[in-house]
Order: sequence, then structure tokens, then C-alpha cells
Amino acid sequence: MGKPIPKIGSRRNGRIGSRKNARKIPKVVIHVQASFNNTIVTITDVRGQVISWSSAGTCGFRGPRRGTPFAAQTAAVNAIRTVADQGMQRAEVMIKGPGLGRDAALRAIRRSGILLSFIRDVTPMPHNGCRPPKKRRM
Amino acid sequence: MPYLLHPSLATCPSRIQIPLPLTTTSVNQIRTHNFVSLVRWGNQVDKSIVGVTMTKTNTKIRCMANPRRVKMVAKQIRRELSDMLITDKVLQHAVLPEASLGADQYLSSLTTISEVEVSADLQVVKVYVSVFGDERGKEVALAGLKSKVKYVRSELGRRMKLRLTPEIRFIEDESIERGSRVLAILDKIKEEKEGAERKQQSDSSAVHEEDSELDDEDPEQGIIYVE
Repeated sequence: MGKPIPKIGSRRNGRIGSRKNARKIPKVVIHVQASFNNTIVTITDVRGQVISWSSAGTCGFRGPRRGTPFAAQTAAVNAIRTVADQGMQRAEVMIKGPGLGRDAALRAIRRSGILLSFIRDVTPMPHNGCRPPKKRRM
Repeated sequence: MPYLLHPSLATCPSRIQIPLPLTTTSVNQIRTHNFVSLVRWGNQVDKSIVGVTMTKTNTKIRCMANPRRVKMVAKQIRRELSDMLITDKVLQHAVLPEASLGADQYLSSLTTISEVEVSADLQVVKVYVSVFGDERGKEVALAGLKSKVKYVRSELGRRMKLRLTPEIRFIEDESIERGSRVLAILDKIKEEKEGAERKQQSDSSAVHEEDSELDDEDPEQGIIYVE
């Protein structure tokens, strides 16, 4: 089977979002995944459909410089710039992971003039599920 | 005295105090030997003893670790502490008091560990903490962390295999905030320049358009890279 055949119901919900410049979204959710080596900033709408994304790696930084707070700032600024003309007023920020990008990307988002409504930390936390990788020996 | 340089020294803690009957009895005053003795641990030089101070009652030895090992320990401590900040309930309640009321998903302030500096003998660890939020949130977060220093130290000792768990000091880190402020000022200057240029271009004729491009310097040149 090549492409899955979409049902009529889901087509109405999912397909409309793929037109890039037809939407005006007043409220937006910004996901910031900040690991130690990189920061990924994804802008989605309230339902979770991705509008645009940017990361420290795609902003031109390579290697250890991707993990720096300045790289996180440029990634956030880049991501917001691509959707700035779509009428974004309010944003909710969801932060995942440790890393310097948490702080730096937040500050960049606040600096860019968007109203921050909520800041949430959604780092995945198991209720003691899968066994974590073995401890590193130093 | 030959046991001072005994190979089993590799397993000793970095500060050893030899009680009086075991040292040479003929010495009564303070003697300081300054020699470097290299202790091998595997293939790398792990610690080097840089000085031995002998007084009447005890003998202190200072050990300096391999700088590469210091960096690795710092990185590992950073990982552990960041993980603790996110996962550990006690620390979270200390940093964000309203988490105990149940409001742990909607945050008023966000605490991040930006850097960890370890001293050369692995005894003192300076943790630079950056807090996002208003003034009160910053004070509350830092006070909460400072009150939990002993708990953090014992948790770290449990998680990491170190000979001696270092003393932890939490320091507020303003560098990210300062960098953000500088960038905001630079952006403002850039906007003002662009506004002035646009105004200039709209008033003047096409001949003067070349002049306005000459004073468009790159504001990115002055950016301070904050790490």
C-alpha cells in the first residue's frame, strides 16, 4: 500500500491546514525542546498542527555551538519571524528538557513582542516505566 | 615516611591526616615539602600531589586532578543537577512554592542551571542558576535552592560515584539576561534606523537613495556571544 486513503471526515479536519498562507491564527503554541546539545523551536496551533519550526542547527550553528543560549535565541527569533505576519497575538509556551534553551528561547520570545499567556513544562516524566540507560562511569 | 608515596595513595581521599605517632618523631616544627608526585590511575595521570605541609599534629596533602577529568565531572554534575531540578519533587517545591499546591504545569518562573564550575581539586562546585520571571520569583527560587544545599549534596553523592562529594554553592547567573537586554537594545536601534531610512527614502528623490545605504551598518557586529 502506497499512500493511505484519507476518510472524508478526516479530510475536512486535516487537509485545510496544509494551505500555508490562508490562515490567520490569533493564538499559537510554541514548543521548545531544549536538550544539552541543541534547541528545537516548533510553532503549532492550539490543536497541535505544526505551522513552522526552526532549530539551532538550521540557523547555521554546528557542533557544540548549537547548545549555547545565543543559538537558542536565534532559533526562536527565526521561528517567530516566519509566522509574524499571520497575526499572532498570544502564545503559550511548552518547554521540554533540560538545557540552556529553556531560558534563552523564552527571553527571545518575550522580547519579540508576543504576549505570553502561559508557560508550561512538559518534560516527559515516567511514573517509573521503562528502564533508563545505564549510568555513565566517570 | 615512605608510605606517603605508597602506591595505595591512589585510593586515599585527597586530604589525609596522619596522626602523630606514625610520622617521624624528630620533626617538631612546620616543614613544607613542595614536590609534585604524579599518581597514575589507569592510563592517565589522575591526581598530582602538589604540596605536603607537615605540622606537629597532622599532615595535609593537596591533590590536583587532571583538568580533563575536572571538565568531565563538571559536565556530569550539570546533567545530574538539571535532571534533579526537573524530576525531584523536593527541589521543585523549593524553587517554585506553588508546585506544592498543584500548579506545577503552569509556571510563574523557570529555573535553569546555566553553568557548573568545579574547582581543580574537585571539592567546591559553583552552580550558576538563571531564573526567568519577575523579581520576587527570582528571590524565591534562589532562596529555595540555597536552603536545600545539604539535600542536593547528599542526592548528588548518591547519584555520582565520587570519592568526596563536593561542597555546592548556588550563584545567580545574570549573563543570559544581560545578553538578552543587549540584543533588545540592538534590535531597537536597528528598527529606529530602518524607520529613519524609510522616512528618508520616501521624502527624497531617487538620487539620494544611495546615500542612505552607506550608513546602514550591521548591528549584528556588536553582538556579545553569551555562553
